[in-house]
Amino acid sequence: MAGRLGLLLHIAAKHLLVRRRQTMVAVSGVAVGVGFFLAVSALMVGSQSDFVKTLIDAAPHIIVSDELRSPQPQPGRRVYGEGAVALRGYKVRNEVRGIKDWQRILREVDAIPGAIGSPSLSGAVTLRLGGREEALGIVGIDPAIEARVTTIGDKLRSGRLIDLERTQGGIIVSEELAQRLGLSMGDIVSATSARGASRSLRIVALFKKGQAQLGAGQGYMLLREAQSLLGRPFVINRIGVKLADPYQADAVAKRIEARHAYKAESWQERSADFLGLLLTRNVIMYTVVSAILLVASFGIYTAVSNSVADKRRDIAILRSIGFSQGDLQLIFVMEGLALAVIGVIAGWLLGFALMAVLGSLEFPIRGEIQHIPLDRSSRQYLIAAAASLTAGIVAAWLPARKSARVDPVDILRGAV
Amino acid sequence: MNGPPQPPPLQAPARAAAHVPLLSAEHLVRTLPGDPPVTLVADADLVIEPGKFTAIVGPSGCGKSSLLYLLALIDRPTGGRLLLEGQDVTPLSGDERAKLRLERFGFVFQFHFLLPEFDALENVMIPMRRLGRLSLAAAEARALELLGFMGLADKAHKSPDKLSGGERQRVAVARALANDPALVLGDEPTGNLDSVNSARVVDLFRQLAHEQGRAVVCVTHDPAIAEVADVRVTMLDGRVIEVKQQG
Repeated sequence: MAGRLGLLLHIAAKHLLVRRRQTMVAVSGVAVGVGFFLAVSALMVGSQSDFVKTLIDAAPHIIVSDELRSPQPQPGRRVYGEGAVALRGYKVRNEVRGIKDWQRILREVDAIPGAIGSPSLSGAVTLRLGGREEALGIVGIDPAIEARVTTIGDKLRSGRLIDLERTQGGIIVSEELAQRLGLSMGDIVSATSARGASRSLRIVALFKKGQAQLGAGQGYMLLREAQSLLGRPFVINRIGVKLADPYQADAVAKRIEARHAYKAESWQERSADFLGLLLTRNVIMYTVVSAILLVASFGIYTAVSNSVADKRRDIAILRSIGFSQGDLQLIFVMEGLALAVIGVIAGWLLGFALMAVLGSLEFPIRGEIQHIPLDRSSRQYLIAAAASLTAGIVAAWLPARKSARVDPVDILRGAV
Repeated sequence: MNGPPQPPPLQAPARAAAHVPLLSAEHLVRTLPGDPPVTLVADADLVIEPGKFTAIVGPSGCGKSSLLYLLALIDRPTGGRLLLEGQDVTPLSGDERAKLRLERFGFVFQFHFLLPEFDALENVMIPMRRLGRLSLAAAEARALELLGFMGLADKAHKSPDKLSGGERQRVAVARALANDPALVLGDEPTGNLDSVNSARVVDLFRQLAHEQGRAVVCVTHDPAIAEVADVRVTMLDGRVIEVKQQG
């Protein structure tokens, strides 16, 4: 069998070598298709994963908050759920909000391999400096743990997250807010909570501008100082969770919520709108790219179709010698496959070169040199190859079928 | 499979003892569909024997080439049967017929019909490589031997367009002999050759029949071939009108 396939391949190769120009055109078509597929998908996938990474890493993968998805029913309704209960004009007791039994949730989260939970308390204060006032949402954190859960530590222009521990009454605010209030590093500002407690805070670090995820109106403090400023000692109202695999977030969040009733939001849930956009983007990309590969396979179709038409006499000779119809079809499918294989290899090189060029481009954004994020994984190479080879085989098989319909008697009789 | 051994047959099948010709055509008919249908071969009976050189003659359009394509299993009859060593080959599938052509038959056409991209040696090797019984080295050795037999040992690596008409036709004969066929068929094999080359090919065909014991069948216009053939089959209007044993 190997001898037969070798012979058929030998004949196919001879056919391609005789028609060098057409072979070159068909191969170039595939190569350009594959090359641009690689470049475009590297750009799209690269920017997407960069974007998703920003999305994922800026905030915890899961945020467990002290809210409930549906409000607790009134006790009367709970007891007489089946009966006719009318409640009117009742007074709601002011509970100290916060996550009850949060240490247990934290222990459970930390028990998941590779996962870590960071407890925090958020609340609102007013910053006062001179005659100006600014509302600020503050988040009390444990800097050592928070640094492992989110990337806020990387987004500081000056100072470090850990400086919160070292300074009595330290706070981190955004550059925008600092500018509005005319504050700079080391300055002292007074903060008043909704309950009237007031305290002097010292700026120990500043966030870079333009962090959509953090927001200009947010500041970070040490957890216990925030608890005391907000008048809620030992209370936390948020647990941020980082997982080893961010794509598990949805499942883990559902599990936490089912067990503890507190609302646990995964990053996917929080960013459903963005993910929807990405899906549309992917559909567009793969449509365009499939069209490129499809057009490339037209070249193969033409080449093989012409080859069959040109070689009708050879087909008759081979059939009379004792080659089967299947043999002849295989010869022409092999021609198409060979064009596709050479095209794919050339396209890989072209795509690699295009990526190298794209990767070397530098863009200054916010005063920093940035490179285009590219996805250079071998997965893209394999997708391009699989798609081209499949399209190539189909494009070759369609005209190759015609070779089986050549009647040797007609050719031999009307011999030219 | 595990049953008791079958007793040997009491007597061998009667047919094995009788003489079976290599190829026999019984009432072969070939018509082309149309209104009215065109008859190419009508009710042809013919027996082809090993060691004999058979010439099929007749005026143009009498159906001799059509009969040859039927005998060669290249075309299918619309009626009658064709027996190869007593076995009916008419109902065989296309692939089975292709296999028989490869193993048992060799062809020489009026025009040389070599593959232009392959040199003489490679052309002769193609049927052997397709059959796959010989290693590549053995196939090459046999191809060289055949070319030597044709007096073309020094032209083995020439491409067909660098060979003269007579040389090409001899390469075609070498290719027809590649798989050691029992039957060699020629469709006007000398039709395109000058008299010297023509005589050479005719000699070759007689040698194949008389010295190598193959059956040789040639369709021809050439009286020189018709003269020297052992059997002369005359056709007219699709019918075999005379079968004459000569010499």
